[in-house]
Amino acid sequence: MSMFRAKKFDLGCFTNIKIIRDHSKRKAFEAAEPERQALRYIIRNTTLPLRTRAIAQLQLTQMHCYTRPTQIRNRCVLGGKGRGVLRAFKMSRYNFRMEALAGNLPGVKKASW
Amino acid sequence: MSVPRARLLQLMEARCKLFETTFNPEGIRAGNKILRQRLKGPALAGYYPRRIWTMQEFQAEFRDLHLMVDDEKELDRFEHVSLLKARGKGAPKKKSGPPDARKKK
Repeated sequence: MSMFRAKKFDLGCFTNIKIIRDHSKRKAFEAAEPERQALRYIIRNTTLPLRTRAIAQLQLTQMHCYTRPTQIRNRCVLGGKGRGVLRAFKMSRYNFRMEALAGNLPGVKKASW
Repeated sequence: MSVPRARLLQLMEARCKLFETTFNPEGIRAGNKILRQRLKGPALAGYYPRRIWTMQEFQAEFRDLHLMVDDEKELDRFEHVSLLKARGKGAPKKKSGPPDARKKK
């Protein structure tokens, strides 16, 4: 969805369309998060009238899918891969291995026993 | 020795007042747990490293000091393009004027 994309390119890592898309989703979610939380509060609040809560439910489901946190997926910043990404290093397992063997990751060393 | 419920409620109310939590003895679902959650948007949006500067901006920083910064990637590209052109494999010339209407059929 190009309307969520940054007007000026703002990424400093490996870039492909999937990374750009994921980055746009992250920014869209950040912008819409207070609204989402407000709607979620109204929905969960049983002291409010049923009609208000139903309307809030509808509004939340009708928000754009890019503002949904479940759309966000951690991707490898070195290769853009979406699977096998180590959360602590933001890298796919292969890139992590290569960087670790090259000594670019402080504190990481190959174990052998 | 048992403590009456009213007394316990008083204690709870005082505790809620002191620690600024909501007093809800009946356990009604008021959605307060949503309000208590922290916003995670900034942390999520900061996952990918942002671009700090472009080569042009970097060169502009040094222009006032009369220093030249070579953009090696760009120079390599120019060299590649000039080699292509020398072999006659460069990009075609830009068209001038509107496209011919009759030719298109």
